[in-house]
Amino acid sequence: MTPLPSATGWNRLRRFDWMMMVAATALMGVGICFIYSASFHGDPLRVAPYYRKQLIWDGLGLLVCILMGMTDYRRILRGAWVWYGLAVGLLLLAIVVGVSIRGAQRWLCILGVYVQPAELAKIVLVAVLARYLGSSVRRVGSWRIVLTATLTTGIPFVLIFRQPDLGTAAALIPVLLIMLYVAGVPARILVFLCILGLLFAPLGWLVLDEYQTNRILFFLDPGKDPLGAGWNKIQSEIAVGSGGLWGKGFLKGTQNILGFLPRSVAPTDFIFSVIAEEAGFIGAAVILVLYSVILSACLRTALSARDVAGKLLCVGVAVLLFFHVFVNIGMTVGLCPITGLPLPLVSYGGSVTVALMAALGMVQSVRVFATRIYG
Amino acid sequence: MPEHVERVRRRSASIGFRIRVVWMGMIVAFFFLGTVLWRMQVASGEHYRQRLMRQSTRRVRLPARRGRIFDCRGAILADNRPSYCIAIHFEELRQRGPWSRTVEYVDSLLDRLADMLGLPRRISREDIRMHIRRRLPLPLIAWRDLDDVALARWAELASNIPGVELYVDSVRCYPFGPLFCHVVGYVGRAAVTPSGRDFDYYLPEYEGRRGVEKTYDSLLRGKAGGKVVLVDASGFRYRDLVSRPAKDGADLWLTLDVRIQQAAFDALGDRAGAVVVLGPQDGRILALVSSPGFDPNMFVPAISPADWNALLEDSRRPLLNRAIAGAYVPGSTIKPLVAMAALSTGAAGRDTEFTCPGYLDLGGRRFHCWYRKGHGRLNMVAALRYSCNVYFYRLALRCGPEPIWRLAREVGLGRRTGVDLDYELSGLVPDREWHRRHFGRGWSDGDTCNLAIGQGAIVVTPLQMAVVAAAFANGGRMVRPHVADRIIRNGVSKFLGRGPETADLGWRPQDVEVVLEGMAEVVGARDGTGRRAALPGYRIAGKTGTAQYGPEDDRKKYCWMIAFAPLEKPRYAISVVLDEGQSGGQDAAPIVREVLKRCFEAEACE
Repeated sequence: MTPLPSATGWNRLRRFDWMMMVAATALMGVGICFIYSASFHGDPLRVAPYYRKQLIWDGLGLLVCILMGMTDYRRILRGAWVWYGLAVGLLLLAIVVGVSIRGAQRWLCILGVYVQPAELAKIVLVAVLARYLGSSVRRVGSWRIVLTATLTTGIPFVLIFRQPDLGTAAALIPVLLIMLYVAGVPARILVFLCILGLLFAPLGWLVLDEYQTNRILFFLDPGKDPLGAGWNKIQSEIAVGSGGLWGKGFLKGTQNILGFLPRSVAPTDFIFSVIAEEAGFIGAAVILVLYSVILSACLRTALSARDVAGKLLCVGVAVLLFFHVFVNIGMTVGLCPITGLPLPLVSYGGSVTVALMAALGMVQSVRVFATRIYG
Repeated sequence: MPEHVERVRRRSASIGFRIRVVWMGMIVAFFFLGTVLWRMQVASGEHYRQRLMRQSTRRVRLPARRGRIFDCRGAILADNRPSYCIAIHFEELRQRGPWSRTVEYVDSLLDRLADMLGLPRRISREDIRMHIRRRLPLPLIAWRDLDDVALARWAELASNIPGVELYVDSVRCYPFGPLFCHVVGYVGRAAVTPSGRDFDYYLPEYEGRRGVEKTYDSLLRGKAGGKVVLVDASGFRYRDLVSRPAKDGADLWLTLDVRIQQAAFDALGDRAGAVVVLGPQDGRILALVSSPGFDPNMFVPAISPADWNALLEDSRRPLLNRAIAGAYVPGSTIKPLVAMAALSTGAAGRDTEFTCPGYLDLGGRRFHCWYRKGHGRLNMVAALRYSCNVYFYRLALRCGPEPIWRLAREVGLGRRTGVDLDYELSGLVPDREWHRRHFGRGWSDGDTCNLAIGQGAIVVTPLQMAVVAAAFANGGRMVRPHVADRIIRNGVSKFLGRGPETADLGWRPQDVEVVLEGMAEVVGARDGTGRRAALPGYRIAGKTGTAQYGPEDDRKKYCWMIAFAPLEKPRYAISVVLDEGQSGGQDAAPIVREVLKRCFEAEACE
C-alpha cells in the first residue's frame, strides 16, 4: 500500500465532507425546534428547559466530531481494544453503581452529568469490529473469526440487555451481521448465525421484564388496552396521521400540546410524532432526506476508503445510524414495537448525540486520511 | 502481481459490491418508510384527523332537576328555585401571550364587576388560576344567588360585557322551613359517584342526606345527562358538540297533610317532644313532628361549619327525629296492651276486680300506685280509666310476663316499624333472656310489675306507639306506617306499591271491646286521666302515660298520650310525647285535643 499524503492542519478540515456536516447540523437544528415544541404547552414561560440543554450537547457533539475527524482513524483503531475494555468496564459499573431512571439502570452520574455508557459501547464496538475484521491478514471466512466477532459483540449485548435496554442492545445485532457480511463472511454462516439467534430468542423472552414483553405484545395488538400500555403507540399514530401533507404548523400540534402524547417521551423517543404532526409529510420527508444525505456520505466514504478497516468503520457507523432512524420512525408509525431508541441527533439526549457525532467524526477521519479522491 | 495483493484487490472489489448492496437495502427501507408515512399522513390522513377530533373533546356531566316533594293535597314541601349567578366564560376573555395575562385580565374584570354590582368579590386570583388549570372548559361562577338589587344593577350596567353572563342554577328550597325538617329532611352536595368518573367534569348535584330526601333519593335525583364539548389546543371550550339531556327526577307525593302537621307543630310549640298522626286503616302518616327542629334551608347549598356545630352541640338535640328515633319509656300507655294480653289468655275478664290500697308489697319491696291514697276496688275498665298501677301489677302477676312480651312484639315493639324514613330506632322489650345478658340475673315478679306499668328497661318510639294506637283503632290489625304515597314522572302517577300491608293480630272482638271501653272512658269520663283531650261532638279513645327518668336528684317525666278518633270509625290514630312535663293527662292530652280538632276542621273544609 502506498502511504497516504499527510494531510495536516486546516487541510484536514478542507477534506471534510461538509454536506454531511450540514445535514447533521440541520437535523440538530430541527431537533432543537421540536424539543421546544414538545415541551411547549401553551405558555412560553412554562417550557421545560430541555431545548437549552440540548443546544449545549449539540455544540459538544460538533466539537467532538471535528476533533475526531482531524485525528487519524488508524490511531483510533489501534487503541480500539482499550476503548472496548473501558466501555465494558463502564457498563459493569453502571450495573453496580448506576442510577436507575424509570426502572432501567443505564445511567452513570459523572460530575453531575448523567451519561449512558451503552452509547459509548455502540461506537466502540463498531471500531473494534472494524479493526478486527479489517486486518488484511485474517481469513475472514473462518469460523474462528466469526466466533470471536460474535463474542466481542455478545459481551456488551448481554450487559446492555441486562440494564435492561432492549432497543440499544438490539442495535448491536445488525451492526455485527452487516459488518460480517461486508467483510466477506459467506452468506451460509450468517444464515446459520441468524437461526442460532432465533433459537435463543425464547430464552431472552424469559429474561425480559414484564413491561418489555408487554410492549411487544401491544405492538402485535394495540387495541387490547387503548388507555394503558398501547396508549403511546396509538396516540403517536394519531399524531403522525393527523399531520397531513403540510402539518398543523409549528407549536400547533394538538396531540402534543393537549398532552395526549405523553410529555415524558414527546421530546425524546417520540420526537418524530411531534415533527410529523406539526410539519406534516413534508417535514417527515425532509428528515428522511437529511438522514439519507448522512448515510450516503458514510457509504460513499466506505466505497472510496483505501483499507478494509476504514470501509468497515464507515459501514458500521452507517448501519448504527440507519437502525436507530428506522426503528424510531417505524415505532412512531406503528411498524416496530416501542423500544425506547432515540431518533439520533434530533431527540433530546446528550450521550446519544455526542456518541453519534463522534462516530460521524470517525467517518470524516476515514475520508480525510484514507480516501483516494481528495475533495 | 503477488498473490496476497491480488487477494486483497479482489476482496476489496467484492467489498465494494457488498457495500452497494447494503446501500441499496437502506434506500429501499427509507423508501418504504416514506410510503408508509405518505399513506398515513396524506392518503388516509382524514381517518386520523377524525380520531383526533374525538380526542379534543371533554365530557361534562349535567345533573338532573331534582324532583319536588308534595304533601297529600299538593302543597310543595321541597322545591327547586332558580338562583341567578354571574358566570365568566374564559373563551371570550382569553388574552394573547402567557396565561398570567389572562389571569390578570379576569382579575381586573372581577374588580370592575364588583363595583358595578355592589357586591364584595368572592373569587380570588388563586381561584382564577385553579379554574384555568382544572376546569377551563367550564364557566367560572363569580357570584351566586344574586338578590334583586344586584340583578337590577346587572341588567342595567353589566349585561353587555363580553364573556360575562347570567347563569341560572337550581337551588333546593323548603318553603315551610322547619315544619317538615325531620320528615322531609334535607340535601347536601353529592360526592362523586363511580359512574361520574367517566366524565372529565361534573357540575354539582344534590344528594338527599336525611328524611324522605334520603330514602327516596334515587327517585328524586333522576338520571344525569352529559354533554361533550370541543376544546381547542389550549383547552378552551369552543363548541358544544352533543348533549344528552338529563332525565328529571320524579315528583314525590307524601301522605302528610300540611294542616295537620302545622297543628301538631303549633301544639308542641317550643317544648321538646314528638307528635305522630296515622291513618289507622292503611298506615298513612298524616303528620310527623319532632321538636325542636331546624331550618333545612340552612343546608342549601351547604351549611356553614359554625351552624353545623351549633346544631350538633345543642343539648336539646334538634337533629334527632324524636318521632322515630327518640328512645322513650312508654309508661302507662302500655296498659291497654297489658289488659289485652291478660284478656286474650283468659286469665282475666272485664269484671276481674282488684283492690288498690295505693301500693303493693312484693318480696320486701313496695310498689306504689301513682295515686298514693289508693283507688279502692275496681274492675278493668275503671283501672284503665284511672290508670291504676296496683290493678295492673296484680293483673300482670296473674297472667305472667310471657303473654305481655308476646303481644308487645306482635304489635311491633322492640323492632323497627319499617317506615320509609332513615335512622329509625328499634326500641326494646326486655325479657328473661335480655335480663340475663345485661343484668346477670333472671326475671323477677318485680320486673313483671315494672313491665305492667311500662317502666324498666322497655324503650319505644312515638311512631311505634302510634302504630299501637292504630292497632286498637282497627280492633287488632297492624299497619305498616309510611310517608310516601306516589311518584309522578312525566305526568304519569305511580303508587309506591307499599300498600296498607296490614297484619291481623287475631284479637277477639269481646276482648277488644273491654279495652276500648276503658280507653274511651280515659277521655270521655269526667274523671278520666285523659279528659283534657276531650272534644265535644266526638268520641275519642286514648291512654295517657307518665314515665319518670333521669337521676334521682333531677327526676324528669315523659308525658305520653296515645289516642284515636272517632271511636266508631277511627280515622286518626295519634301518639304524643313530651320530654318534660307534669303528667300525660296534664300536658300531652291538650296536644291530642288540638291536633284532633284541626283534623276534624280540615275534614269539614272538604
